[in-house]
Amino acid sequence: MRLRSLQRGSRIGAIAFAILTYLILIGLPTRLGAPAMSVLALLAALIFWLALRGGKSKQAFANRAPAPLFLTGTTAGFVAGLLTALLTAGFAQLLMSGVNVQPYLDKIVPMNMAALYGVMPGALVAGEAPAWGWLWQMAFVTLAGVGGALLVLIERALRQRTWSVGGATRWLAILLPFILLGFVIWLGNPAVTLGGNAKGTLRLLMAMAAIGSGLFALRAARPGREQRVLALLLFVGLACLPFTLDQFQNSVMGIVFIFVMMGLGLNIVVGFAGLLDLGYVAFFAIGAYVYAFLSAPFASPAFSSLLTSLGIPAAAPLTSFWLAIPITMVAAGVGGVLLGIPVLRLRGDYLAIVTLGFGEIIRLFMLNLSDLTNGPRGMLNIAPPYLFGYSFGNPRDIFILALLGAGVIAFTAHRLDGSRLGRAWIAMREDEDVAQATGVNLVRTKLLAFAIGALFAGLAGQLYAARQMNIFPDNFTLFVSVDTLSLVIVGGMGSIPGVVLGALALKGLPEVLRGVDEYRIVAFAALLVIMMIVRPEGILPSTRRRRELHSGNEPGAEVAPEPIRIGALTQEGGKA
Amino acid sequence: MQWLVRGLGLLGIALLIWRVATVGLAENYPLSFWMSQAINGLVLGGVYALVALGYTLVYGILLMINFAHGEVMMIGAFTGVFALQFFTALGWMSGPTTMVILALLLIAAAGMLGSIVTGVTLERVAYRPLRGAPRLVPLISAIGASLFLQYSVLLVFGVSPRTYTKPPLLEGGFRLGDVFVPYTGVIIFGASLLLMLALYLIVQRTKLGKAMRAVAEDKGTAALMGIDVDRVIVFTFILSAALAGAAGVMLGFHNTVVKFNSGFIPGIKAFTAAVLGGIGNIPGAMVGALLLGLIEAIGPSALGIPTEYKDIIAFSVLVIVLIFRPSGLLGEVVSEKKA
Repeated sequence: MRLRSLQRGSRIGAIAFAILTYLILIGLPTRLGAPAMSVLALLAALIFWLALRGGKSKQAFANRAPAPLFLTGTTAGFVAGLLTALLTAGFAQLLMSGVNVQPYLDKIVPMNMAALYGVMPGALVAGEAPAWGWLWQMAFVTLAGVGGALLVLIERALRQRTWSVGGATRWLAILLPFILLGFVIWLGNPAVTLGGNAKGTLRLLMAMAAIGSGLFALRAARPGREQRVLALLLFVGLACLPFTLDQFQNSVMGIVFIFVMMGLGLNIVVGFAGLLDLGYVAFFAIGAYVYAFLSAPFASPAFSSLLTSLGIPAAAPLTSFWLAIPITMVAAGVGGVLLGIPVLRLRGDYLAIVTLGFGEIIRLFMLNLSDLTNGPRGMLNIAPPYLFGYSFGNPRDIFILALLGAGVIAFTAHRLDGSRLGRAWIAMREDEDVAQATGVNLVRTKLLAFAIGALFAGLAGQLYAARQMNIFPDNFTLFVSVDTLSLVIVGGMGSIPGVVLGALALKGLPEVLRGVDEYRIVAFAALLVIMMIVRPEGILPSTRRRRELHSGNEPGAEVAPEPIRIGALTQEGGKA
Repeated sequence: MQWLVRGLGLLGIALLIWRVATVGLAENYPLSFWMSQAINGLVLGGVYALVALGYTLVYGILLMINFAHGEVMMIGAFTGVFALQFFTALGWMSGPTTMVILALLLIAAAGMLGSIVTGVTLERVAYRPLRGAPRLVPLISAIGASLFLQYSVLLVFGVSPRTYTKPPLLEGGFRLGDVFVPYTGVIIFGASLLLMLALYLIVQRTKLGKAMRAVAEDKGTAALMGIDVDRVIVFTFILSAALAGAAGVMLGFHNTVVKFNSGFIPGIKAFTAAVLGGIGNIPGAMVGALLLGLIEAIGPSALGIPTEYKDIIAFSVLVIVLIFRPSGLLGEVVSEKKA
């Protein structure tokens, strides 16, 4: 028994050491400055906690006895601490002896090491590092191991008590978005000096939290009148947001909601119809470029000369933003059908690579057809939307338009979900052959999924072009597709509120965290992997999908009350 | 609807042939030009084949796209470049011929080792917990892993590209008639053929290879026959990562630089090649990759369009092939339902 604890502890320690080494290699200590070691130890404690609790089944978790737990924790901490200390001491020794490791490992600078020892960088290079510094590090990490074990015990104690909550939390969930909204508006008052420089960030974060918690509140509310009233109130609250946020915050929210529009479209293709599309950016690009052609024909050499030869002046926009909407949407929809036709017979991964190729082809055309698209120099001076002479070009109005667009698309998607077509999509997603046998016209259903998804992306693309005013082929790389797919999946495939939440989490948060720009993508990528392991159904999954993904391992308890709620919801949908 | 799709495909082929006949042949390039292009294509195709085999091996067994495979290759290339610097510092690279060959072999081995460590870790951390989950879940995890590896390398090793300096022995080449053949090309092509042969022998002739084929056929039954499925999967990842590592080092010597994102495009290309040949099918990956390499090298001049469009040609060929053979050139139609 004791031996097993020791073994397990050393294994956890080795893993923790690997993670800590990684954090040191990417230069986190430099970023943290003086308290680097204590923050790293804190992180280590969290890692130990997660590793020690195991969490595979609730039973195993409840049975953890304190003594072996502490033994495992201490061993893990000791092993990780010893290895980390040896490693940093080795690096420090190298630095002090004048070896320059930096050309090989970008972030291993004296600062990095010095932060770990809590001394000035100069002191380290001059060889004045504290002799017992590595011992301190070891002690810190060992303590973290003990702390991890303690955390497990605390969590278990908390879980064993039965909390009588019920109604109160539900009301808290419902009221939370309004509290947050109030906070956002209060922070907007110039007289309030809370948070100092971080005030803007805090406000943006709060605004996003308000929208996110609003979605949870809608889930918590009882279906029926309560939900409808809440939805109305939330809508009013949301409508206030653009007017209280400042320019930067509005522009961040604008891009978030443009991605919500995209995500809702992709959600139809991937979430409803189950067609894995990795080239979704193509339609976004088509929308943006078609609007660019309509609005700034002079930016494209070939197009403008064609127009002048036809006797149409090419110096001014051809149509207004509003008239361009149907044109871009149709163009994107045609693109969707064109992509859809050759891939009708393809399944799964074949579909993924062909769509990916399609996205790349569109981008390469934009990059290389420089006569038409002005190549890498991009289409410049695209007009913002105008209405009665009033320009909608500023971030606030773009945010409002994006909100409106997302609202319309969300409503359409919601109605489609419950329609005959939506059911055909779901049937097709589950099993194409069976769907065909029951009378679903596969060709029509598939093409409609591609076309409708593309329509929405086209609209999003047009708004994006109007927001950026200058677009370049580089704005439409594969990463846009990947981002959109990730936000759909992180939010919860097939779930409309999930898309909004996913966009807030994946597009909004990184904007807020601009300060730690370098680590943004790495953190995002790690989050994707962890999310897939811990909660593959997404943050706010559709009920169907949650049950699919948890059918095997959690019988009874969680699943049983659900059908009633679904019944109520669908009834509600049917009446409205 | 079927006739429409096929008709479009036929139309595409007809257009391609027309274009080749009117533009490509009208240019009157000498034969030696085509030959040297073809040699370039075969060299690139050989490297693609090694990477494509990695995709196909993993797909054959797990039915998942290892989206991070290009990054596994890139890390192999990075390990290789450090090994190269090490041996250059030791003075082996400018030493006698045997020394250089030994060093090159060791560099390739280092690259393979780096890739293997990455591949196995990847499998353990990002894929194994997801076994049995719906198919999109491991794909997203793989996309996450791919981004994570790319940007971790960026953070750890910095933005600046690392250069593969060719040893003097590898510089230059020989003439075959009118055609110039660089030594690196010969070595790369020969080495990839050798590695493919080795892979073939491992899969067809060894006990572990037999186990791999059994697991690819049916995991459950294989487990009942006493095969340790986890071990076989790890072994598959080792094989595919080793090939990727070798490919990474070769591509490093071919392109002379390696960067944090230099695994991405070859990865996508190799994946295209694997799909072209029929994913999950080992000979298919080789055929698809060599074909793709040739098309990319010859295509632009044959069609009389700028080389920037070579990716478009590659993807168009993929689409046309998939219209007529939805499971790739050598893929079996039976495997569709398994997915």
